[in-house]
Amino acid sequence: MEIHIQLTTERITEHLPPPSAALGAWGEFRGVVRGEENGATIAALEYEAYQPMAEREIRRLLTELSTAQPCLAARVIHRLGIVPVGEAAIYVGIAGRHRAEAFALLTAFMDRLKRDVPIWKRRAVTNLNVIEDRTPNASGHPKSGSVSAHSASEVVTLLRELCQPLATERVALAESNGRVLREAVCALEDQPSFDRSSVDGYAVRQDDAGTSFVVVDELRAGDWRPRALQPGEAVRIATGGALPGDGLQVVMKEDVRVEPGKVLVLKRDGDRNIRFRGEDAKCGQILVSAGTVLRHGTLGLLASLGCVQPLVTRLPRVLHLATGNEIVSPDQFPKHGQIRDSNSTLVQAFLSQWNIIPEQRRVAEDAPAIQSAMSHQLSEIDLLLISGGASVGEHDFTRRLLAEAGFVIHVSKTTARPGKPLIVAQRGGTLAFGLPGNPLAHFVCLNLYVRAALESWSGQFQRTDFAAGELTEDLAAGGNARESFWPARWHLTDGAVRLAPSRWQSSGDLTALAGANAIIRVRAETKQLPRGSRVEFMNTEGIG
Amino acid sequence: MRILFFAHLKDVTRCSEMNLSCAETNADGLWRELIAAHPGLERFRGSVRLARNSEYVAPEARFTDADEVALIPPVSGG
Repeated sequence: MEIHIQLTTERITEHLPPPSAALGAWGEFRGVVRGEENGATIAALEYEAYQPMAEREIRRLLTELSTAQPCLAARVIHRLGIVPVGEAAIYVGIAGRHRAEAFALLTAFMDRLKRDVPIWKRRAVTNLNVIEDRTPNASGHPKSGSVSAHSASEVVTLLRELCQPLATERVALAESNGRVLREAVCALEDQPSFDRSSVDGYAVRQDDAGTSFVVVDELRAGDWRPRALQPGEAVRIATGGALPGDGLQVVMKEDVRVEPGKVLVLKRDGDRNIRFRGEDAKCGQILVSAGTVLRHGTLGLLASLGCVQPLVTRLPRVLHLATGNEIVSPDQFPKHGQIRDSNSTLVQAFLSQWNIIPEQRRVAEDAPAIQSAMSHQLSEIDLLLISGGASVGEHDFTRRLLAEAGFVIHVSKTTARPGKPLIVAQRGGTLAFGLPGNPLAHFVCLNLYVRAALESWSGQFQRTDFAAGELTEDLAAGGNARESFWPARWHLTDGAVRLAPSRWQSSGDLTALAGANAIIRVRAETKQLPRGSRVEFMNTEGIG
Repeated sequence: MRILFFAHLKDVTRCSEMNLSCAETNADGLWRELIAAHPGLERFRGSVRLARNSEYVAPEARFTDADEVALIPPVSGG
C-alpha cells in the first residue's frame, strides 16, 4: 500500500486528491476541533507529537490493518501546534477497490490512532480575546482592573522568585567553562599529597649536625624512593621531589660546596624547605563551593583534583523571535523604510556569555506567523524572548499573543526608561519576555532583567548588582519623573571606577551602544549630575 | 541514555529530555532511576508506556546506554 504521512503546523488544505489514481473508492475523514472541551467553551486546541515515532506508528498501523482490509493507498495528515476551532486537526484519506474496505480501514485506523500514536492534545486555549491580568499589586495579590507599573528592582525581585535553579547535568571539564558548579568539590586527599622539597638541594637528617655528607641518591620530581637516611648521608633532591622519609631538612644547593663523592654544607638555618603533606588542604576540605561560576583558574584546580565531570546547571533552552515587518537580515541591503535586524545579533552575543545558543527566527509581525513559530515547541523551552517590531502597537500585540498562548502575564508596565513596554509572562516552566524593539532598550532590558533570570536559573551564588562609580563628565538627566538607565563605558583609573555616560536622544539610537560596557542608574527626578558625581552602575560584562 | 518526556510529563520534569547514564537495565530499573531524578513521575508510572527507539517495548525489554527512551502518557491525537 502506498502511504503518505505528514505532521504539520500548517492548515490542512480543503481539497486533497487521492495520492494515486483511486480505483473504485476514495474515502476521506476530517476530525475538526469543536468549540467545547470538557464542558467549557474553547477557542483552539494545542497538539504535540513525538514525531519520528508518530510517523512510524501510523505507518505500522496502516500496514498491519491493511492485511485484513486490503487497500491501495492512504494519506494521513495531523496538525501540530495551535489548531483553532473549526479547523481540521486530522485528515485521513483511504483509496481502495471498493468502499467497504476503504471505510473499514478508515474506522479501524482512527480507533487505533487514538490508542497508540504518540500525539497529544496539549491543552485547550479557552479564549483568544480575554487577557488575564495577574499583575500583582503592592500586597502581592492578583489585582483586577487597572494595571500597576513596576519599578526595575521590583521586576528583578519577581524574576528571582520565578526562576529557581534549573536541573543539573555532568559535563566534561573542557566544556564547563562559564557553567555553574552545583556540588561542593572536596580534596580527596591531602594537598600536596606527599612531603615535597620546595628548593633544589640536599636532603639530610634534621638531627644530623654534621657538615660533610655522602650523596647516596638523586631524586627528581616524580621519583618515589623512600629510604632511611643515616647520619652523614644526603640525597640530592629537585624542587617538587618527594622526600624519601620523615625528619629531614633540605639544604639549598647554593649553600653547599660539591666535592668528589661528598657535599660540604656551608650554611644551614632552621628552614626545612619542605612543603608538607596537607599544607594546602586537608583531605575532605571543601575547595570549591556549590554556586561557583567555573572559570579557567577554578577549572585548573578541578583538573588537579581529578574532578573531570563536574555537576553543573543545565543550560536553559532559549527561543528568540525578532518580529517586525521592517527588519531585514544584517547581510542584506535595506530598502527604503527597512532597517537591518540588530536585535538578533545583540541577543545572541548577550546569551553567549552563558554558553547559551538560542534558536532564533525573524518573523513578520503578524499573529499566526508568530504563533506558528513558537507554538509547536513552547513546552520544550525555558526562555522565550520576543523582540517587538515597530509597525503595529507592539505592546498589546505581544501581550495578547502571550495571553492567547496560555501565559500568565506578570508584568506589563514598568516605570523604568528605556525599556517600555516590557512584558514578563510565564507558562509552566517557560518564562517569556516581550522586549521593546529598540536596540538601546534591548541592551538595557537584557542586562537588567534577562540577566537576573539567567543568573537565578544558573544557581550561581553571586549576583550581578549595582556598584558605585564616578562620572567623568556631566550627565544631563533632565529631571525625568521615571527612573532611567544610561549606557556607559567604565574603566579603572587610580583604583577608582570612572564612568563615561553615552548620550541618547531616543531609544532607537544605536550609536550610544558603541563601546558600552555598563549601565548607569539615575533615580527619578534627577536633573543634572555634574562631573565627579557618585552614581550607581552595573557592569554589563558580568561578574564572571 | 536519552530520555524524552511528552505532554504533561514535561510539566512534571520541567524538561523535555534528559540524559541518564546507567548500566543495562530492565523497565523496573529504569523507572527507579527516573523516579530518583524526578520523583513527581512516580504517580504517572501506571499510565505511562515506554518506547525504545521509537517503538513500544515488551514488558521484559532491556535498555542500554545507546537507546532513546520515550515516556508515552495516554495519547489523545485525532
